[in-house]
Order: sequence, then C-alpha cells, then structure tokens
Amino acid sequence: MSDPAIILDSLEKWFPPALSGWRAYVQPFAQPTAPALRGITLEVKQGEAVALLGVNGAGKTTLLRILATLLLPTRGNASLAGHDIEREPAAVRRQIGYHAGSDLGFYARLSGRQNLRFFGRLNHLSDDFSAGRIESLSERFGLSRVLDRQVRALSSGTIQRLSLLRALLHQPKVLLMDEPTRSLDAIAAADFRHFLKTEVLAGNATSMLFASHTMQEIELLADRVAILDEGQLLAFDTPTALRARTLASSLEEAFARLTGRRLYSAAESKSE
Amino acid sequence: MMRILRDIFLFFQRDLRIASTYRSPFILEAVEALFGAAMFYYVARFVDSPALREALPQGKSYFAYSLAGFVFFDYLNAALDTFDRSLQDARDAGTLEPLLVTQVSLPVILIGSAFYPFAATTLRIAVYLGWAAILFDFPLHAANWLAVFVVLLSTLLAFSGLGVLSAAYLLLFKRGNPAKWFILGVSSVTGGMIFPVSILPPWLQIVARLNPVTYAMDAMRGALLDGAGIFSLAHPLLLLLAFAAVLLPSSVLVFSWSLRRTKITGTLTHR
Repeated sequence: MSDPAIILDSLEKWFPPALSGWRAYVQPFAQPTAPALRGITLEVKQGEAVALLGVNGAGKTTLLRILATLLLPTRGNASLAGHDIEREPAAVRRQIGYHAGSDLGFYARLSGRQNLRFFGRLNHLSDDFSAGRIESLSERFGLSRVLDRQVRALSSGTIQRLSLLRALLHQPKVLLMDEPTRSLDAIAAADFRHFLKTEVLAGNATSMLFASHTMQEIELLADRVAILDEGQLLAFDTPTALRARTLASSLEEAFARLTGRRLYSAAESKSE
Repeated sequence: MMRILRDIFLFFQRDLRIASTYRSPFILEAVEALFGAAMFYYVARFVDSPALREALPQGKSYFAYSLAGFVFFDYLNAALDTFDRSLQDARDAGTLEPLLVTQVSLPVILIGSAFYPFAATTLRIAVYLGWAAILFDFPLHAANWLAVFVVLLSTLLAFSGLGVLSAAYLLLFKRGNPAKWFILGVSSVTGGMIFPVSILPPWLQIVARLNPVTYAMDAMRGALLDGAGIFSLAHPLLLLLAFAAVLLPSSVLVFSWSLRRTKITGTLTHR
C-alpha cells in the first residue's frame, strides 16, 4: 500500500488579532488568540480527491495555505508526499500545484504564454516540456486564442483558467485548489471538472485537496468530503456515507445538519 | 549555484520584458537626465566663487563634484530601495503568493528582482553622464572605469544589506523604509553629496567620518574625477567590503526570521 499523499495530525492554527494604529508595530509579536484550525487529523490517499466543505471562515483556505507552505501551523504536524511541511518546505513545493482561487497573480503587461513560461521556468521545467504542456493544456482549456494577449486584456474567468493551467503545468503529485471554478462560467466550470475527473484524477497518480461551495462539484469530484466548522473537522467521509449518516437527501442537507445550520428550501425562499 | 544564477536571470528577463512594453518612460527619462545635468551645470555656474573652489578638492569644478555626488546617491538609493520595492510590487500585484509556491526561495526572488533596477539605474546614470560630457564638458576622460565599477559594486554590496533589512521591515510592518530614510537623510547632510564635509561644524564632521557613505563617496569621486586606481582606493573599498561582510549575512538572518514570523502571523501577503 502506498503512503498517503497528505497526512494531517492534530493540526492547529491560531492567528493573532489584527491590530491597527500604533499597536500595528507590535503585530508581528502579538500572541495568537484566534483559532482558525483546531486539531485537524485526516489523511488523503494517493490518487484520492478530498473536498473541504465549510462556511466562510471555517478554515478551508488556512488549511490549503499551510499545505502550500505559505503559513506555519501553530501546533501539530502536516506532511505532503512524505515531506514535512515545516522541515522540508522546498520538497513539498516540488510536489504541489496550488491554485489560490484569485484572478490576481499574473504580470499584467506580459502575455499569458510569457507568464506561464516564466512560472514554468521557476519550477525548473525545461523550455521544451513547458512549451508542450502550455500548448496542450491551453488547447484543452480553450485558451489558445488568447494566450499571446497581455493578461491585463483578459477577463477574470480567463485569468482564472490561466491560473488553473499554471497549477497543472508541472504535473504535480498533489493539487491544492481553493474554489477552482469560482470565476468560471457554467460551461467552463463543467468542462474543467470533466477535465479533472477524466484526465487528472483518473490515473490515480494525482491527489487533490480542494475547497468548494459548489455541491455539484463536490459530488462529481470528491471521493471523500471533510466538513469544517469554526476550524474543527466535524465529519470526514464519502458523500454517500455523509448523506446516510444524517438521513439527508442531498449533500447540502447533510452539511446543514452536521453544522447545525438552517437550510432554506427553494419553496421557502419563493414564499418569502 | 548555476541554477540560482539562472533563476536570478529569469527575474531580470521578466523585468526587461515588462519594461519593454512601456516605451515612452525611457525617452522621458533621457530628457529628464538632460534637464538634470543642465540644472547641475547652471547651479554650479551660479554658486562658483573663489571660496567654493578653495573648499573643493583640488582640480575639481563644482559641477563635476556635485554631479558625481548625485550619481553616487542614485546608486545608493537603488541599493536601499530595490528590495523592499520589488517585494511590495509583488505583494500588491498578487504575484508574491504564486512566486512563493515555486521552487525558488524568497531570497533568490528578492535578489533576482533587484537586478533590473540596478541595470536601469546604471543606464540612467550613463545617460546623465553622457549629456553632461557632451554638452557641459564633464571630465569623463579622466575616469578610471574599472575603479568606478569596483566602487559601485562595493557600494551595492555594502548597502544592499540595509535594503534587505528594509524588505524585512516591510514584511513585518507593511509600510515604510526606515533604512532608506535614515541613511539617505543622514548622508544628504554628512555624506558629502553636494558640498564637502569640511564645511560642516566639527561635531557633524565626526558623524561624517563614522558614515560609510562619506568614504564611498570619496572613492567614487576619486575614481570618476581623478582616475584613481583600485589600489589607491583600497582604504574606502576595504571599509565598504567590511560593512558588506557584516551587514549582508545579518540582514539575511533578520529577513529569514521576519519571513518565518509572517508565516506564523498569517500576514505574509497582507498589504
């Protein structure tokens, strides 16, 4: 049996309060008092896709940023592809493709192709390999026509697709994606999910941990779902098992029951 | 090592590509340099007096003296300003986060991002000196270019440590460049940029003697205006290199600590 792609062991993250005015000068030394993640323990198997589901502020992005080596945990351990994220951050970065879910992150005056080649080189890809991957992925994502335009002239959905392409460029072993289809139109989002399902996850060589608010996306892509609430892991199971456990007819309903939140039906919303 | 140099070159290439998409600033800077050189020339003519000539080191006109001082300060400014500015630009454009998840470390990102600004400063200074030599008889023929290069390189090394400290400050506190403020502020009075330190009151002359900028400035003028060789400039050069030997490693340590701290507080990419 192969090693898990991601192991989280009692992972905790606390942030200091945001200080302003003259007190901002002691911000870097402030004691962390606000919990963002509380004792998260889970494993993502090789080739598995795990969705992080939770309301805003549940800790999904914090968890992804810790795994991307952009944050340090307060307590506990995390490893990715066998490398400890605190002790071997460079080795961790070699294994990950990270998509932050924002349409920022590119040089506006450079073309999409120039941006992608630059980031490919920073990941130490050969120019030939990088050019081939850019060509095939841009064709797959419908970006070929706009690839040589300056990024400042592209729509936010197109930049989002560029960002997804960048995360996949170096064929990472583990994909960390924060709301991967947030700015995409319905067709592009469906196409990207299909691509992930049939071409990235199908070979079991790539694992994925992704945050999403789209139940349809989670149902399609996720083998298991981690439900987070106020930094705590409330449940971690397959969508079917979560529905069965909560006697819910949908994942949305299961999520609402597990987090104790009210879910308004379409009929209720219409009548109000 | 080759990989690091290659990574550094990638950043230079990136900045060159971005700069090439803006054409007019170069023309405007060339025109600005012309006006700048003219301003130094006419100010020098206006203030020229026997007393001033007596206060200046022998054989130098005030025009050559002040323009050489200005050129040096432009370099000093680049060394102090470039690191935190490149960090701030990346943070504001949202490119810092994607850069940090690549296989290139933040110190390499910072050093790489500093190369183009240093090259651009060199070009701007060349244009300044070119105008000054063509139109106002600036004595470029006297320069020892190898010594000028060594002095500028030593200055960059010596003061880049302070630039890295400023970048660390920016990581922690998000705004401000105290090293630049302090060094340029103190040195504009005691560094001998546009007037010799000999005219200062005795207590400020002591400050000037403690300020490495004063020595670097003297070395720069020696190489550019007197054609002094590297060996005759050994004293200020060794002083600058000693400054660099202390400051560069300690600034890297402080920067690493600041980086770790911002990963703990979660403020790495905050503005």
